[in-house]
Amino acid sequence: MLRLALGRLVLTLPTMLAAATLVFLMLHLVPGDPVDVMLGESTQAADRAALRRTLGLDRPLATQYGAFLLGLVRGDLGRSLVQGTAVAELVAARFPATAELTIAALAVALALAFPLGLAAAARPGTWLDRGSIGLALLGVSVPSFWLGPMLILLLSIHWRWLPVSGRGTWAHLVLPACTLGFGMAAILTRMTRASVLECLGEDYVRTARAKGVGRLAILTRHALRNALGPVVTILGLQFGALLAGTVITETIFAWPGIGRLLIDAINQRDYPVVQGCVLVIAACFVIANALADVVNAWLDPRSGAAAARSNG
Amino acid sequence: MRAALTGLLLCALSCSRPAATAAPPGTVVIALESAPAALDPRFTTDANSALVADLVSDGLTAGDERGEPVPALAEWQHPSPLEWQFTLRANVRFHDGTPLTAADVAATYRSVLDPTMGSPKREAFAAIAAIEAPDPLTVVFRLREVSASFLESTSLGIMPAHLAADGPIAPAAVVGSGPFRVAEILDGGGVELAAWRDAPDGAPRLARVRFRVVPDGVVRALELANGSVHLVQNALDPDLLPWLAARPELELIISPGTTFQYLGLNLRDPRLADRRVRTALAAGIDRNAIVRHVLRDTATAATGLLPPAHWAYTGDVAQHPYDPARAAALLERAGLGRAASAAHRRFSYKTSTVELRRRIAEVFQHDLAGLGLGLDIRSYEWATFYDDIKRGNFELYALAWVGVRDPDIYFRMFHSTMQPPAGVNRGGYASPAMDRLVAAARATEDRAERRRLYAEVQRLAAEDLPIIPLWWAENVVVKSRTLRGFVPAPNGSLRSLATATFAAPAPSTAVSSARGPAPATTAWPPHSYFR
Amino acid sequence: MRGSYRLVVGGWLIAVLIVVALGADRLAPYDPGAQALSENLAPPGARHWLGQDALGRDILARVIHGARVSLAVGIITVLVSLAIGTTIGALAGFAGGWIDELAMRAVDVLLAFPGLLLAIALTSVLGPSLRNVVIALSLIGWTGYARLARGEIVRLRERELVEAARALGVPEHRILLRHLVPLLATPLLVQATFGMAAAIVAEASLSFLGLGAQPPTASWGAMLNDGRAFALVAPHLTIFPGLAIMVTVLGLNCLGDGLRDRLDVRAPSGI
Repeated sequence: MLRLALGRLVLTLPTMLAAATLVFLMLHLVPGDPVDVMLGESTQAADRAALRRTLGLDRPLATQYGAFLLGLVRGDLGRSLVQGTAVAELVAARFPATAELTIAALAVALALAFPLGLAAAARPGTWLDRGSIGLALLGVSVPSFWLGPMLILLLSIHWRWLPVSGRGTWAHLVLPACTLGFGMAAILTRMTRASVLECLGEDYVRTARAKGVGRLAILTRHALRNALGPVVTILGLQFGALLAGTVITETIFAWPGIGRLLIDAINQRDYPVVQGCVLVIAACFVIANALADVVNAWLDPRSGAAAARSNG
Repeated sequence: MRAALTGLLLCALSCSRPAATAAPPGTVVIALESAPAALDPRFTTDANSALVADLVSDGLTAGDERGEPVPALAEWQHPSPLEWQFTLRANVRFHDGTPLTAADVAATYRSVLDPTMGSPKREAFAAIAAIEAPDPLTVVFRLREVSASFLESTSLGIMPAHLAADGPIAPAAVVGSGPFRVAEILDGGGVELAAWRDAPDGAPRLARVRFRVVPDGVVRALELANGSVHLVQNALDPDLLPWLAARPELELIISPGTTFQYLGLNLRDPRLADRRVRTALAAGIDRNAIVRHVLRDTATAATGLLPPAHWAYTGDVAQHPYDPARAAALLERAGLGRAASAAHRRFSYKTSTVELRRRIAEVFQHDLAGLGLGLDIRSYEWATFYDDIKRGNFELYALAWVGVRDPDIYFRMFHSTMQPPAGVNRGGYASPAMDRLVAAARATEDRAERRRLYAEVQRLAAEDLPIIPLWWAENVVVKSRTLRGFVPAPNGSLRSLATATFAAPAPSTAVSSARGPAPATTAWPPHSYFR
Repeated sequence: MRGSYRLVVGGWLIAVLIVVALGADRLAPYDPGAQALSENLAPPGARHWLGQDALGRDILARVIHGARVSLAVGIITVLVSLAIGTTIGALAGFAGGWIDELAMRAVDVLLAFPGLLLAIALTSVLGPSLRNVVIALSLIGWTGYARLARGEIVRLRERELVEAARALGVPEHRILLRHLVPLLATPLLVQATFGMAAAIVAEASLSFLGLGAQPPTASWGAMLNDGRAFALVAPHLTIFPGLAIMVTVLGLNCLGDGLRDRLDVRAPSGI
């Protein structure tokens, strides 16, 4: 099992390398001079040259790339142009906030999706089922940057139940986590319902039912366990959306995480920080996918080998 | 039922709040839009930095409410036009406990004059030929030439000699002799100050002053309403003021200010080098409508940099009221009529990411679109935006001068030799007539003559429009009624916090009494509370 | 009939959206850029049904013109992504070998990034504008179509139809274009419907972050961003553009679901 997990993680290395290369090249593939885009039209030549030197753009591409990779191996993401501190340090300082928010959102999504999905699958075609489908459809259609302000309007301003923004107590976490988790809850509800329904149609479930095993026991013991596989896969894939969603959620709620850091860095034209944030978020996503595969293999050893190959 | 539930939940929430986010009693919390960049008084150029540094460091002199110099750390004599003698107050101590002496004053001024230090304030002291400290309480400045505004510039904060030798001092390490000392640098760029028990005028009664950076305007307003922030000055959307003023626990104070908002232009751009184009821009913007409806009358349309209350002000200058027809005609003559190519008629306009600034930019864009001009609005985070402006990296931008007091600023703004980094002639304006006027005005100490010369400067500036005056902003303060004794200063200084106090939150029925001076019995904590 | 209910609802919603976007100039009661500073933040009323924004602009007019921005970005992004993705995917699936390997590795690399994140990074380098949003979204969006097209082609390649054509001596490129690509149309159509919903949300997100539509363009995302400052005093600035996005995305998702069920396509769900 451990070997499988390690093997799957090793398999992410080429993907990570390629992703890092893409991030590196982003600045170079832009048509025109990236320094022009960053500084604007009326810059003095000396300032352009200075920025080019700071970003290392005056060196040959291969040298820059080599230095970039070497830095990555050593955990060096470069230096912020604005603060002058190491990017790795800035990102590390913000990481706990983003992790906290993402995990809370995941918890919200799971807490909503499993009961709803199960209930819908248990009584297909009823109002409960229709309701959960409708809610799921609504969930994917409400953009988080609207849901967030609406929740603030209602819960913070109108009823004054929760703080408007910032990070501090668990109360501060409620609105951002709900905002971020709602979309994912919708997707997971649908997925849970579909895979539980599929399981309920399988022969062994029918056999169990014929043997007189209770409905609830079938649902929780057999169907849910077998339905977990696809749900975990989706979870891994949707984790990316969750991570990207933190950028918006953190902006709305002034949450001091990596997403906020990214947007601030863009407004400050602090390219090394932008690069560092994108890399770290992408790395988290790749690892989350790998973990989803490992969990899947553990849930269902038959699919392990296949899962390890896909999505590499 | 619902009310009861709400109450229960509210109680649960407030009880769970850890000490880290709630300010301890005796701490006044002030929300800023952006982080102060520097606290070293030799390097503070932006308003928020100056605001905080002003509480930490004292200068030889200070400005009173009319902008006239008054003694602070020292009394002065002016025995001859080229000599200024300062007698320091005795028994003043820095926050590190060392006594403040003439040697510290000399070291501070010498470090500013040192070209390798790179202080942006160096030019203001260019006239100094020698600094002498004949005894621990006497400092003598000998000037090379007459410098009319020398006294105004001696409000520079004094720092200990052993620190003055180093380059910019990190905010946490800044030591001054002001009423508050730097206690802590907070996450997100905020600063916490603590009362200085040996302050020259007695220890402040507020234990601490916490400056928190709250970038979002709505959040600043809500934090005020929640009571987690006690004071916000000039950082609230005018449209939110009625909402805030309607809350019984808050007080809205609008008072005259010395903030001058202007439209900056890059005169190195051949189009903007043409005075007709600049005049067209001035006449093509409906200033009054913005003041009225966007700023909700918290400002007055400006005729120039100096506010009407200033001793050197003259209103007898060319004004450019909103006149689209005149503006269009001027543009036509300057070759920027609708026949010109679209690219030629486009300007980039830089501003900060603050919502109000972006909104004003959209009004400019709308007004100028009516003249066939395009405006690309670029908004950047404050520090980046300000850095661009300081470097001359812009076509058009809007910015403010805060705390305008010394008319010699005209020299640094408009003299042709004062382009950055020497001065603040950021647009690259060069006019021999202006050069003569601003140089002459700083070389005489005769008030009447200076007034005459500065009137000429103001007339020429209004003609030539090296910058386009927009409006003078009033000082807009919203504060908690529990904070008493705070008096807004025209230049935005928070110095009155040194004598302000906190009262226990008054029940809403007692609101009217909160307007009077706080009775001594309710004012706390007593002096002995500190250390 | 399976999915017909959603098909009808989604179809109608999108039809209305298209009519609104095409007829924006006639339908909008005012010029979406016309400012009336003295009437700023006016609540919904008889003259301005949805009220006025912070600069006194008519919100209804801006929501209507915002439909045009959303639809244009959605359609252009989908068309460009579809063209790139189908070409690469079909070629990869048909040619196999190293071409297939290369194309699929490229897809994998792009899929290593959360889509919106890459779009944010790209627009930050390209500079904020609607055009750059379309470029960034297309550069990312093609991967889904490429995977789908390749999968279908690989599945179809071995079918008798293709074998027969080969035996008859029909040139390879002709087999691909004449016989295989048309078979891709249905699954791609379903995918494109969901793709459009995603593109519209992405544009609104980027504009919300200030990286998309620039003033004075009326984009729903930008309107939401502008309105946020007035949540306390004028919530209508936030409510209406948000509703517009929600209804549009809901319509596209319904349409996609309905199409998938009706055409019985095993396409990945938009959700």
